[in-house]
Amino acid sequence: MIPATTPVVRVERVRKEFRAVLAVDAVTLEVNPGEIVALVGDNGAGKSTVVKCIAGVHPPTAGRILLDGQPVHFANPLDARSHGIEVVFQDLALAKAQPVYMNMFLGRELVKGPLRLLDRASMAAETKRLLAELDVRIDSPQQTIRDLSGGQRQGVAIARAMHWARRLVLMDEPTAALGVGETARVEEQIRRMRDRGRAILLVSHSLDQVFRLADRICVLRRGRQVGSRRTSEATGDEIVAMITGLR
Amino acid sequence: MSLRTVEPRRYVVYVAFLLILAFFAATLHDDGFLSQTNLLNIVRQTTPVTVMAVAVVFVLSAGEIDLSLGSVVALSALVTAYVMQSQSAFLAVAAGLGVGLGVGVVNGLFVTLLRLPSFLVTLATMGLVAGLGRSITNLESVAVENQDFTNLFGSGNVGPIPGLAFWALGAVALGQLAFRHRRFGAHVVATGDDGVAARASGIRVDRVRFTVLLVSGLAAALAGILYTGRLQGASYTLGAQDLLTVIAAVVIGGTRLFGGEGSIIGALVGSLIMGTLANGLILLGLSSSQQLISQGALLLLAISLTLREPRGETP
Amino acid sequence: MFALAAASGSLSCTSDKEATSPNVAIKASKTLGTTHGPTGQKATPTSALELTSGEAAEVRAGHHTAALAWHESSDFTTAVTAGARDEFKKLGIQVVAETSANFDAAKQKSDVETIEAKKPSVLLTLPVDRVVTASAYKDAARRGTKIVLLSEVPQGMEYGRDYVNLVTDDLFQMGKRAADALAAAVGDRGKVGYFFHDAHHYVTNERDRAFLETITVNHPTVEVGARVGIGDPNQAQDEANGVLVENPDLSGVYVTFSQPPGEGVLAALRANGNARTKIVSLDLDEPLALDMAKGGHTFALIADKPYDLGRAMAISAAYGLLGKKAPAFVVGPAMTVTKSNLVQGYRESLHRNPPASVMNALGK
Repeated sequence: MIPATTPVVRVERVRKEFRAVLAVDAVTLEVNPGEIVALVGDNGAGKSTVVKCIAGVHPPTAGRILLDGQPVHFANPLDARSHGIEVVFQDLALAKAQPVYMNMFLGRELVKGPLRLLDRASMAAETKRLLAELDVRIDSPQQTIRDLSGGQRQGVAIARAMHWARRLVLMDEPTAALGVGETARVEEQIRRMRDRGRAILLVSHSLDQVFRLADRICVLRRGRQVGSRRTSEATGDEIVAMITGLR
Repeated sequence: MSLRTVEPRRYVVYVAFLLILAFFAATLHDDGFLSQTNLLNIVRQTTPVTVMAVAVVFVLSAGEIDLSLGSVVALSALVTAYVMQSQSAFLAVAAGLGVGLGVGVVNGLFVTLLRLPSFLVTLATMGLVAGLGRSITNLESVAVENQDFTNLFGSGNVGPIPGLAFWALGAVALGQLAFRHRRFGAHVVATGDDGVAARASGIRVDRVRFTVLLVSGLAAALAGILYTGRLQGASYTLGAQDLLTVIAAVVIGGTRLFGGEGSIIGALVGSLIMGTLANGLILLGLSSSQQLISQGALLLLAISLTLREPRGETP
Repeated sequence: MFALAAASGSLSCTSDKEATSPNVAIKASKTLGTTHGPTGQKATPTSALELTSGEAAEVRAGHHTAALAWHESSDFTTAVTAGARDEFKKLGIQVVAETSANFDAAKQKSDVETIEAKKPSVLLTLPVDRVVTASAYKDAARRGTKIVLLSEVPQGMEYGRDYVNLVTDDLFQMGKRAADALAAAVGDRGKVGYFFHDAHHYVTNERDRAFLETITVNHPTVEVGARVGIGDPNQAQDEANGVLVENPDLSGVYVTFSQPPGEGVLAALRANGNARTKIVSLDLDEPLALDMAKGGHTFALIADKPYDLGRAMAISAAYGLLGKKAPAFVVGPAMTVTKSNLVQGYRESLHRNPPASVMNALGK
């Protein structure tokens, strides 16, 4: 059932051109709070471009983006972030030589006292709490990223986005490099995020994952939107047909 | 709760220093190595390098490098000495620091605005500044007679403790504060670790890079001023050999050459190691060539011990 | 391509009709002046320094120690060290430390500071710089170390109080011999170039001046066609290039010292395809000696005798230890080295055989 609230984000007839290349043409989609929307399509379909437009990396050539019903223009990724949009990148954007808690607060470190010194104790404690809440299996927030497995690192990146996102979390292939067990744990983490009311837009190549996680599926093909379905009402074959264009 | 994981690799440099001290203490116990004067001399001799090493921890951790250090030392020393001939020591020091600031700004602008690699930019400014150093006084050295200046900046003592010790400690304390306990330090290592990630996290990486190059220029200028105070004069040859010593000190101290991780205290110990080696090898009575060979060999050993890449570097 | 062919042509030298034989005799002209110390002190030859057997025994009984603080590490310092060590051995003085400052004033200060930890009785040293090394030596002098200086007296150091004496080459003789050699090289006629050291440096200034005076007064038929001041010795090749192009008719050039300016001038001549201009320079140096051995541009190298200087420094140090007043300014003899006495030149000056490359070129 489609919730009768304003969508957290609505991408309205967004078009993005890069010089001679038309990457995205008139795409419209929305994500509601407490909902996971999957964006699927073949390579070159324009999924990454749509995500980057929402994340403030590229401004759309035409069309508009609305947050909670209000049109917004993002000058840069920081601008998008300040509007409560967080991104979990494919390469995670983690500082590998730093401990988990410093990564959690990267760029937004907590300080204390008149000298504004780093409040490592508070950051570590807060991190511990977050990781526990999302059941990310890491021994200690002091561990260095370098010493963590792929799944653990992914868990940190997601927990970070979860912590800071007030509105929307964008995820680009979050389990692409993970094994079966780790994938399962990360998917659990994503579900927990959704249950806490976050809006999530997920880009994934794995239709199995999409069907496991997403509430709705939006299909892109060659920069155009070819359809959107509620997961419960769609079949794998149908989605594949939409992706490949064999209708 | 300890906020650092214990990595044995970090502590090798301290162990190495103690081993070196123990070795010289044992072999040179009758030859004055452990005398108060000699140990304090090591502090005097290493301070300019220590001051620069602190700055270079920031530079390397941010993923940059500053090859113009040595040239800036010479030029700022000469400018300071030259200005002091007709102006107050205060103005002279300001002028000397101004040289470092100026070169730092130039380096910073070329790296951040024109997006050129710092290796190439500072290689160029190294030559340019060295040329300026040679021509400003036509290779002539400049003496400094101002006692107030020389006492404050290199020749003075507070009781038995050399004034230079305070400069070194001051630089280390300031560096440690900024590096480990301020946001700036966290941003520096993040920039060096992964510039893209840092930028995505809202860190102004250009500002970080600019600032570390600025600090580096200033530190080299301060080192030049300290040399001038210590020698009671300036010469275009000052600092010529310091670049490699500084980088060696910083790297054996645990700072990664390519960025992302650093240690201020490690750099201090690294500088002391370099100075103690030079000092001890002379006292052992080795010839100049034997000293050079030994220093090279010991440096290689130190690097192999402190620099082995940690396991678990899986993407 | 052309330059390369011309350069290889110039090395053989046999095709050029105007070439002077490398064996032409050099006539010694009248000595017009004497070497004076930096503050006008009169010179005493190194041969005048000696110790009686009683004095030597007294020094031996003292079980003294010595340290050597050099400005660089080179053939020159190796030879001085050898001369000093051999003399020290006779006097029972043990050498406890040796350093090389690599021309860095700060390093030299550190070196002297460190050396003082061993409290040596004697310090032999060549100060890197007149201005910025004084503080290092003053502290050592205050501690009672007897300092013997080579080449340079740091600002503010007083003879007797701070240092025993100053030893250096007979600078006037070196310049004069260079003038005589160059005159012979160009057959006592024609134009020559005068590449002097354009900086305030006592040793080189004295030698250059002696050359100029001798060549103008004693060899009036030789005209000094070009005067080139070399500020930065590393830039000599570039400066020479320009001068040689402007003055293609120079029969010979005098270069203030061999490494690096002499080498630079040789390179410039080869690059210009110049086969006839002769070079006379000061101090033995492998590339120039090799060129000379092959009968190339280099006609003569005026060498000092570092081994002898080292010996003289050691004896001066002994004077200091004995409380005997040493002559303030001691000079060592110079010698003119041409192809004919190249091997002997190396042996007398540096106390070693010429480098292998030179020996091979001489066919030995």
